[in-house]
Amino acid sequence: MRYLKLIQIFYKNCLLVDLEYRANFLINSVMSVFWASFAILGIKILFLQRDHIGDWSYYEVLLVIGLFQLFTGVMEGVLRPNVTQIVEQIRLGTMDFLLTKPVSSQFLASMRYVRVWHLVDVAVGVGICGYALYRLQVQVSVWQALLFLLLLCSATVLLYSLWLLMVTTAFWFVRIDNITHLFSAIFDAGRFPVTIYPGWVQGVLLFVIPVGFITTVPAAAALGRLSLGYAVLSFVMAAVMFVASYFFWRFAVRHYSSASS
Amino acid sequence: MADIDIQNLCKYYRVHQKEPGLAGSIRSFVARRYKDVKAVDDVSFTIARGEVVGFLGPNGAGKTTTLKVLSGLLFPTAGEARVLGFLPHKRGTDFLRQITLVMGQKQQLLWDLPAIETFLVNQAIYEIPATAYRQTLAELNELLDLGPLLKKQVRKLSLGERMKCELAAALLHRPRVLFLDEPTIGLDVTMQTKMRQFIAEYNRRHGATIVLTSHYMADVTALCKRVIIIDHGRLLYDGNLETLAQRLAPYKIVSIVARAPLTRDQLLRYGDVQEVDTFRAQMRVPRGHSSEVIARLLQEIAVDDVTVEEPPIEDIISEIFLAGGVSS
Repeated sequence: MRYLKLIQIFYKNCLLVDLEYRANFLINSVMSVFWASFAILGIKILFLQRDHIGDWSYYEVLLVIGLFQLFTGVMEGVLRPNVTQIVEQIRLGTMDFLLTKPVSSQFLASMRYVRVWHLVDVAVGVGICGYALYRLQVQVSVWQALLFLLLLCSATVLLYSLWLLMVTTAFWFVRIDNITHLFSAIFDAGRFPVTIYPGWVQGVLLFVIPVGFITTVPAAAALGRLSLGYAVLSFVMAAVMFVASYFFWRFAVRHYSSASS
Repeated sequence: MADIDIQNLCKYYRVHQKEPGLAGSIRSFVARRYKDVKAVDDVSFTIARGEVVGFLGPNGAGKTTTLKVLSGLLFPTAGEARVLGFLPHKRGTDFLRQITLVMGQKQQLLWDLPAIETFLVNQAIYEIPATAYRQTLAELNELLDLGPLLKKQVRKLSLGERMKCELAAALLHRPRVLFLDEPTIGLDVTMQTKMRQFIAEYNRRHGATIVLTSHYMADVTALCKRVIIIDHGRLLYDGNLETLAQRLAPYKIVSIVARAPLTRDQLLRYGDVQEVDTFRAQMRVPRGHSSEVIARLLQEIAVDDVTVEEPPIEDIISEIFLAGGVSS
């Protein structure tokens, strides 16, 4: 309850700040539409040559692109601003204030900021998904829709945990720009269904850096072609990563010796 | 029971050593060599409820490290620290609710928003009921004169105004133990005085236990009856401030500007001459006799200006350091 209240206050704070920068809304909207169009154009060209990539048709791939755009929005809007702040706070030593509050420091550090205008990406992503599903004319059963939504939640948790695992290393390295750039580059692979990649790349994208669970698996669920095994694996993966990120954070805080004043 | 109880506390850091120059950098990139730095080394003391204690020492003495151990930010390497009966490093909710940490060089206020927004965040974090929140805010408002500051964006506040808001933000939950790490750093003299008055008044009203570090002697003399001095992580003095000043700085510093050029010999009978520079001179005069010495001096030498000062804290402390501690 208290945590919900806090999120409400935090997000209101961020909205207040972001409302001061109206130009950002415009820029982000343009950028979001631009990148989405760019991605769509890319697969349009591919599909001029053939009508399937792997066993995915044009609109099926479009659904994956929509999900990719959605999670890009989540990443840029909800996760990255906190990462930037955590790095700053470790560098400046103001992390001390978070750690002396009677609330989970992980929560305070990772849920504090939101860049409201990046939620445009989420809206664009939802739009693309909606359009793709509409053109595919898939008959989505209640059970499928529910599974899809649950998989979206677990994908969000997974993405959050991956970012947290990454940013926690800042307690040792302080500057982690390179790591986040690397992750973004790998995350880009999630733009397409993982099944189009060679076998070993699929393995990496599912079990080493589990990007596949974020875009491909929910898309497959919506299309009714996901085996139950992968659905379960998706939840297990999210749970394991979340627990791992929780303990890694605690471990890091234990070893934190803040920048001396 | 003591609010703060430290027994044989040690905190060592491992730092990597770098040799100078590029070659040294490359060598340390390949194979780092580490060395233990004893930031706090076998320190013990207790602080009773409601006490205001000044923590003194030069930069790097271990003051901040001790405060960080006490507020739960650092794990002790050895020994034990207890605050309000809790082990701080466990960072239990019940413990954190009753303490606060203010750092003069770091800020918790949200930079782009008015201070009141940070207050509301803290209200939610500490789960302060609306009535208690209003009451506390009204009181802090009265003591610190926050009024118009609260609605201004923090980045538009002056350093002094920001510090007032920092203090208020840190006290909304009415902590029983306050750790203030150089709360007056960078403030002008008037603002420093206001801060001291506030801290003293807060202590008087709420009986809060306060541990304060500062580089300014005036902060400590105005607020603390008791001082703890550490250097290189070791406790050098723990006791009454007055006896410390009298014992270790049994003199005041008198500076004069004369109308005629001065000579060292001419001044020797007034005190221990430190410096003579044609018209200006500085000397140490025994603490108890300063007024009569100055009276004599004014009669005998044509003087434009006289100032009498307490010796700077750094001097007193460095004298303690030279002596390697104080036998008590």
